[in-house]
Amino acid sequence: MTPQNQSIDRFYTLVLIIISFWALFFIWPYISSMVIILVFAFLFTTILLPGVDALERKIKSRLLSTFLVMGGVLILLFGFLSGFASGMFQQSSEFYYRLTQENYVNELNDLYQRTILSIPGISNIDDFEKPQLVKKIQVFFSGFMQQILSAAKSGMNFIFFTAMTLVFSFIILNEYHHFRSALVSIIPNKYFEVGLRIIHNIERQMSKYLTGQFLAASSVAVLSFMGLLILNLYGANITLIVFISIIAGLSNLIPMVGPLVGMVPAILISIMNNLGSEAALSHLMFNIIPSPFFVFDIIIMFIIVQQIDNNLITPILVGESVGLHPMVVMISLFIGGVVLGPLGMLFAIPTAGIMKVVIQEIIFLVRYAHLL
Amino acid sequence: MKALWENLFKNWNKQESLTKAVLKQIPVFHKLSDRQIHDIENFCHKRRYKQGETVFKRLAPGEGMFIILSGTIEIFTEDNNKKNTLAILNNGEFFGELSLLDSDTRSATAMATEDSDLLAFLRPDLQSLSKRNPQTGNKILFNLAKIMAVRLRKTSEQLSKKPTELV
Repeated sequence: MTPQNQSIDRFYTLVLIIISFWALFFIWPYISSMVIILVFAFLFTTILLPGVDALERKIKSRLLSTFLVMGGVLILLFGFLSGFASGMFQQSSEFYYRLTQENYVNELNDLYQRTILSIPGISNIDDFEKPQLVKKIQVFFSGFMQQILSAAKSGMNFIFFTAMTLVFSFIILNEYHHFRSALVSIIPNKYFEVGLRIIHNIERQMSKYLTGQFLAASSVAVLSFMGLLILNLYGANITLIVFISIIAGLSNLIPMVGPLVGMVPAILISIMNNLGSEAALSHLMFNIIPSPFFVFDIIIMFIIVQQIDNNLITPILVGESVGLHPMVVMISLFIGGVVLGPLGMLFAIPTAGIMKVVIQEIIFLVRYAHLL
Repeated sequence: MKALWENLFKNWNKQESLTKAVLKQIPVFHKLSDRQIHDIENFCHKRRYKQGETVFKRLAPGEGMFIILSGTIEIFTEDNNKKNTLAILNNGEFFGELSLLDSDTRSATAMATEDSDLLAFLRPDLQSLSKRNPQTGNKILFNLAKIMAVRLRKTSEQLSKKPTELV
């Protein structure tokens, strides 16, 4: 190819890329949900693939292996969601019932008075009316119940989204090696070896990252469970600790923000269960620091769990799975959060990891371009 | 009844695919069962190279081996624009097998001298296969080690026969 032809070829390639991006910009609103479902299905597949492959070796049937693994995951998912939903509903109903009791109203008002008195400068403000506080809480809770109902509507969308993700995951898991071969077959001969290398490296990066994250999340869940169990031994009276621990483990998948999310349900349930208990209200952490309703105990416990996870478990289990600089992690999280919200934050690190692999391979390709 | 009978035993007289037959001939895949050869076949990639198309160039990083299903491949080096043909390979022959072990650069260029169908088995495929089926992976690595040992022994013999040429 002459240099003139090469320039024309590059110009047409550039024009084609610009047209593709322009077209993508217009059709994105129509395909965005499907793309997100496919991304989720791909991530799900990457997590479950080693399990399906291992089972296939034993029972010699891909379809049955996929069916068994997906079935197991579905049973676990359904068990967790239904258990957590019924537990939370029961917890909220009990709390709402207790709010309507007369002695509880007095206890709440007493608590409010004491809180007001203990804050310097506010104690002399005398605009507090006794029934007002309880009324506010009751209004809040009836509003909360209505919010739950409206959340159920959007829950239908979530169920559709989840069902589609599971269906796609099943298909991709079952046909994974055929899809991979089909993808490899469209790579031009010139880039065949390097193309397969990129696919393999991306797969390895994703698998290492997701497996590491899954192990780290499990260890955070187990540690949180043990921590909450210890707090309960000292009278914290926190219920639903299995679910709180799983939420803490799952939220740990979002770096930096996740750990904070994990402790919120624990604090809320502790307050709900201990409201009215004098011992819980006047609880002292280490017999020194005032920690009403064990709030500071819970915060310290989750901080300890995070420290164990960050400094001991994650370096061993996850290692340098993605190998990104902390600055790059923070920038990726920020961009992911701005573009797609919490979902974006969840995908930010693996996406940055894939981009790192692709950039590394592009550098490799540029270095050896004259040999292709 | 005849149709049922034929359907039940339809695999009995089934011809072995060309790919499987070729794979069984390759020393890297010696002493592997039909099931293991079938697994390897699933990991291989069929590629078609036109006449004059380069499979890989000398000094390019190697990623794996190629097996010729049909066609002819010329292996050569070039010194000062002078072509030095090292081998002309035909159906059932293979090249680049050492790249299954490391990503060192290719020692020669491979080019299709006629339209050729090749079967590529690359290092990432061997790694995936070893992960999914460690027994098959071990056998392949053992066969590769045997090939290496034979070559090393031959080289040692050649060197011991010509000690004066080394100085």
